[in-house]
Amino acid sequence: MKTYTETLYDAYGQEFRVDKLYFENKTEHQHLVIFENAKFGRVMALDGIIQTTQADEFIYHEMLSHVPLLAHGKVKHVLIVGGGDGGMLREVCKHKAVEHITQVEIDDQVIEMCKQYLPEHSAGAYDDPRVNIVIDDGAHFVNTTDLRFDVIISDSTDPIGPGGALFTSDFYADCKKCLNPGGILVTQNGVAYMQLDEVVTTNKRLQSHYKDHTFYSAAVPTYIGGIMTFAWGSDDEKARSLPLETIKHRYNAAKIKTRYYNPAIHLASFALPQYILEAIENQTWTD
Amino acid sequence: MDRLSVKPRSSAKPFQELVEQHGSPLLILDCKQLVKQYHKLRQALPGVTLYYAIKSLPHPAAVHTLESLGAGFDIATSGEIELLWDQRARPRHTIHTHPIKRDNDIRDALRFGCTTFVVDNIYELEKFINYRHRVGLLIRVSFPNPATPIDLSRKFGCKPDEVEILLNKASALGLHVKGLSFHAGSQCPDASNHVNAIEQCQNIIESRFKSSGKLLSILDIGGGFPVEYVGKAATTETFCRPIREALARLPDHVQVIAEPGRFLSAPAMTSISTVMGKAHRGDSIWYYLDDGVYGSYSGQIFDHATYPLTIFSDYKQEEKAVIAGPTCDSIDVIAEDLSIPPMTIGDLVVGHQMGAYTSATATDFNLFKRAKIVVINQQPSDKNAANTVAFI
Repeated sequence: MKTYTETLYDAYGQEFRVDKLYFENKTEHQHLVIFENAKFGRVMALDGIIQTTQADEFIYHEMLSHVPLLAHGKVKHVLIVGGGDGGMLREVCKHKAVEHITQVEIDDQVIEMCKQYLPEHSAGAYDDPRVNIVIDDGAHFVNTTDLRFDVIISDSTDPIGPGGALFTSDFYADCKKCLNPGGILVTQNGVAYMQLDEVVTTNKRLQSHYKDHTFYSAAVPTYIGGIMTFAWGSDDEKARSLPLETIKHRYNAAKIKTRYYNPAIHLASFALPQYILEAIENQTWTD
Repeated sequence: MDRLSVKPRSSAKPFQELVEQHGSPLLILDCKQLVKQYHKLRQALPGVTLYYAIKSLPHPAAVHTLESLGAGFDIATSGEIELLWDQRARPRHTIHTHPIKRDNDIRDALRFGCTTFVVDNIYELEKFINYRHRVGLLIRVSFPNPATPIDLSRKFGCKPDEVEILLNKASALGLHVKGLSFHAGSQCPDASNHVNAIEQCQNIIESRFKSSGKLLSILDIGGGFPVEYVGKAATTETFCRPIREALARLPDHVQVIAEPGRFLSAPAMTSISTVMGKAHRGDSIWYYLDDGVYGSYSGQIFDHATYPLTIFSDYKQEEKAVIAGPTCDSIDVIAEDLSIPPMTIGDLVVGHQMGAYTSATATDFNLFKRAKIVVINQQPSDKNAANTVAFI
């Protein structure tokens, strides 16, 4: 029986049965595989780390898109940094009021490969006329563009490796510059229990650029180790604590179908466990 | 084994057939010998997980054979990782043992899926700050062994009394140290330094637990298990018995691993070279082979090994002789002060126990072609494996 063992951590890990191998690409710089697993459907892994699976990706993509979009309420322009698998684009495209979506992906081959092997992630979103794909380094793009956005979503890989530039203070500052007044930045920020220092570091880096900065969370089964945190930065201090009725109204008006997200989850996801609050407050972490 | 044995010309036949088929010089890699040595060490050290030190013979067939037996691998460089990649070795069963690494070396190993690394100083610990969530470290402790030809505790390893400082520093940096490692020497005459090292590591493990409640759960006892070259070496059983006894005294939670290189690979290769010229110089006759110390016999320089040789002759008389390699350098001499029956040009010379640190350290000096490695007795590859991920 063939298995794929994630090697993200030394002392702990998850293992998948490989029911069918769809794609493997090994270069000097990376090793990418896409295979079928009975429990999670199509699984994509890069350099020993699970990136996305067909079965649980909806949790991640819905939470990193609908929370900022519905909290903002009047989003016209969206920037997605990374997100080559197309799942984020699919969710943003569900919002008919959004007029323009820019996606900056560093590697065009990732998009093509995911269209072919993970077609349900993008589900045709790349053909949406509102979408503009830019092949560029996300950090470079936000540093140089004159475009302005209402929501920026950073859908990056882990901070180790090429994604590292998307976790820097400079990146958060450049995103701030690219946001319209009242705009919101959200970023994937890892699994807090396993990487608590990333929460502390990101919080420190956000606080000098955004009047309101916090995290919200969701548990994604194949990002193992408990809840994943999403960083939140905005100058609109009320955006994350709107009345439930307001969110409900916007959600119903948008007429989007979701499987994880709903207005109650939206508000509840900003409640953080005590260990995270204390780490942020004390600016320390322990293992 | 003797420095040189003389066998009847008729017994050269199997070697001649190989040379006729593949040319000369050759190194014959017999995978059956790898299997035999692996089982021998497993029997002598039950419960010890073996990680083959592929530096001793970084050959795909050796990796494939040992991988299929369930061995893990001790790797030290990104080049060795590439070899494991090609053979689909399981990353979870590898340890990166080089005490000094560049950032790219760490990244290459992590990308492959190896998460165990060895450190022996504070600067090296600091290199793991960015990767602290991902790795489990072993601290390499130095136990000098003047009795071995190669003392592996001079260049690497911290002193036993420095371990606590490193452990505390690692804790402060959020790094997880999961155990200790040592190298008692290479080709050790006896296991006294292994036993000494195991006992001192046991003290460190126990006092760490008493003082901080923290477990060091891995003990890597390195290599050093001897093979027989010229002269006698301890038998595997004699050598390993005191190690076994010392390991039995360790706390139950400690898992023991070892990194045999030479022990597994040395008996697996046999050199075949050809007399390509001869000359009378002084009172000796000089035979020039098509392989020498810049080639397969490089271990005589780098590894301080002297390989047992066989020549084939039906003559009874003996002459003073020197056997030399083919390059222009005068250091390229394999054996001298010999007293052997005469050989003719085209005769074969066989070198035994030539699997470890031979082809691995051979050079291209003079652009003299290296010996070709011919693999025999290899288990056929699993056809499916060729198209699969590095399944772990």
